[in-house]
Amino acid sequence: MMMNLMKPAALALAGIAFSGAALADPYDAYRGQTVVANFPAHPHYDAVMKVLPQFTEETGIKVEVDQLQYLKMREKQTLELTKRRGEYDLIGYVVFSKADYVFADQLENLAKYFMNPKLADPTYDADDLIDGYVQNIGVAGGTKGYLPGKTGSLFGLPFGSETSVLAYRKDIFEKHGIDVPENYDQLLDAACKVPEVEDGMGGMASRAASGHQASHAFLLHLAPLGGRVFDDQWNPIINNEAGVAAANALKTIVDCGPEGSQTFGPSEAAASFMQGDSAMFMDSIAFAANFENPEKSKVAGKVGYALHPEGVRRGSQTGGFGIAIPKNAENKEAAFLLMQWLTSKKGDLAVAMQGGNPSRFSTYENADLNEKYPYSATFGEALKYADPDWRPIIPVWGKINADIGTTMSKVLTEDLDPQEALDGVAERAEAIMDDAGYYTWR
Amino acid sequence: MGTANRLTPWLFLAPAVVVLGIALLYPIGYMIYASFLSWSPSERIGDAEWIGWRNYTNLWTDEAFRESFLVTLKFAAAVVTIEMVLGVGLALLLDRKLRGMTVLRTIFILPMMIAPIVVGLMWRYMYHPTVGVFNRTLKSLGFDGAPWLSDGTWAFWSVVIADVWQWTPFIFILALAAMQSLPRSALEAAEIDGATEWQKIWYIKIPLMMPVLIVTLLLRLIDAFKVLEVILVLTNGGPGLSTEIVALRIFRTAQEFQELGEAAAMSNVLLLMLMALTILMVGYNWLQERRAMRLRVVAETGK
Repeated sequence: MMMNLMKPAALALAGIAFSGAALADPYDAYRGQTVVANFPAHPHYDAVMKVLPQFTEETGIKVEVDQLQYLKMREKQTLELTKRRGEYDLIGYVVFSKADYVFADQLENLAKYFMNPKLADPTYDADDLIDGYVQNIGVAGGTKGYLPGKTGSLFGLPFGSETSVLAYRKDIFEKHGIDVPENYDQLLDAACKVPEVEDGMGGMASRAASGHQASHAFLLHLAPLGGRVFDDQWNPIINNEAGVAAANALKTIVDCGPEGSQTFGPSEAAASFMQGDSAMFMDSIAFAANFENPEKSKVAGKVGYALHPEGVRRGSQTGGFGIAIPKNAENKEAAFLLMQWLTSKKGDLAVAMQGGNPSRFSTYENADLNEKYPYSATFGEALKYADPDWRPIIPVWGKINADIGTTMSKVLTEDLDPQEALDGVAERAEAIMDDAGYYTWR
Repeated sequence: MGTANRLTPWLFLAPAVVVLGIALLYPIGYMIYASFLSWSPSERIGDAEWIGWRNYTNLWTDEAFRESFLVTLKFAAAVVTIEMVLGVGLALLLDRKLRGMTVLRTIFILPMMIAPIVVGLMWRYMYHPTVGVFNRTLKSLGFDGAPWLSDGTWAFWSVVIADVWQWTPFIFILALAAMQSLPRSALEAAEIDGATEWQKIWYIKIPLMMPVLIVTLLLRLIDAFKVLEVILVLTNGGPGLSTEIVALRIFRTAQEFQELGEAAAMSNVLLLMLMALTILMVGYNWLQERRAMRLRVVAETGK
């Protein structure tokens, strides 16, 4: 009898415990809130838009997105972040905005959110996030101010980040017995062999247009060839042997590239590859989806992917976007929950399956993703060499970047001597750094 | 008239003058103030550091700004000269009663109705090394393609061509209107005196059109110094700095380098230069008009 009485009581207790668990739903307190996000118009964020309804369904938190072309987005954010009360709870930001936003104290330090047991998901597994991306996009305040280190903190999470790989035409390489380049000598040989053996085809399509594009292309080769823009004391070393080697490599690539390469931005270079006018393309992984789309690409199914070739070291680029919570946001905790959900194993995979760029190693290893996008395994391997320091992320970078880009353009189009060109860049960079106070402690 | 009566018109004018004054002068004052600051868009203007004349002295040593200044002068001189010659030439050619002239004139003014950004895109595709119409035509005739936008000198003249294509109609329209309002009596008198067509153009039409031509030249010159969208889309200032005019440098300084104070200083330098040009041209025009008036008085009174 006693047992019979105990049974319903135990059931009731279990019921209370169960309902207690339901009440402990971490999203409960935020149900009905609306997170206003500002995202770039970018294939990754287009994929995000497709999975956001799933987040709302699971959490009850609504999401409104203001998706803007990325330069417009930056312009809008610049205004929004200086207001006392901003319009956005969560922002997607391009990597070099990290320096400006953190320096102006406009982003939330994420430590207090990850320390809050009511907000931080214990299964989040931050160690699975791609190191190079977190270091490049999320952390600031450590080594050199923009890298991790003992004094660094986390201000954002990588989301829509990118690295570089080599895309090549399998059919052309097979036809002419060209090996897939594993190092820079082989890369430059292949780049100049293609136009000799394949009439009307350029070796490698590369960005090279004056300004940011030429600078990006140069820096892409500088890191693997052993160079850096500055040493640890902020002295420009861009004009050392490695710098000259990188400039010469870019010049060789452009000279052996498709017609008009000197004016190419990333879209033109990718278009040249997709139209079958070039045999190689080395740039962001974000272009792969278009290469494999037969509606847009004449080379779909004919493209192989390899790691960014090795120079004196391996070093592929890191870039793209991250997400962060502005200091003047209204619904910061709900924004954190969205941020955490999107970059969780489940969210990252969901976005990747829709064509987004994974931020986690485990996503790249996922069998379903590899079946859908066979190049994922190579990209995952490339990320082990993603170099967070391939270009400095400092507030005065815009000016130095533009100078590198216009000077490189002169090397490519006016035959300016690379050593002379880089000596000039180093001199001007030193003046800019001096003006910005980087030599105050000398 | 009492003091109150004398003040009444001013009182009526005052609201308009105040509104116009604020609308015109406030942004200029703001720009002048900003040019003395080290101001990034990430901070409020009130928080920006006052650095005195440093933005201006930096310009003096900024090689890229100096280069863009020279490119601007070259660009403005090239486009305005070519556009004036072509525009006035076309007006002289088409200032006659011919069949289909109305349609022809309408076609001529179409380019200036197109948004500059579209003009930039259009020419960019036409200059494209492989699929552009120019290189395709050259190749079909057995020639090599030209490096329209990938060589500094070619790129400069390619940009000039795009601008000439868009803005020659502006000169043409104004010159044609000026020509059609010329006093017929002067031309008829010249005809009676046996003047040739060339003499009529050189000694009568051009001098009488001069005030309009000066204003037209001034307007085009100011515009040429400020042109941005076409170059931004066509070359983004490259290769190197071969097509980077001051307006583009200002845009990049504000947008890419995030240095609003320096961009404001550049804008003020450009503004001063344009003001000097305007004063010069308006002054010249005023002197010409006074000379013409004096000649008329002499002709009428004999003194």
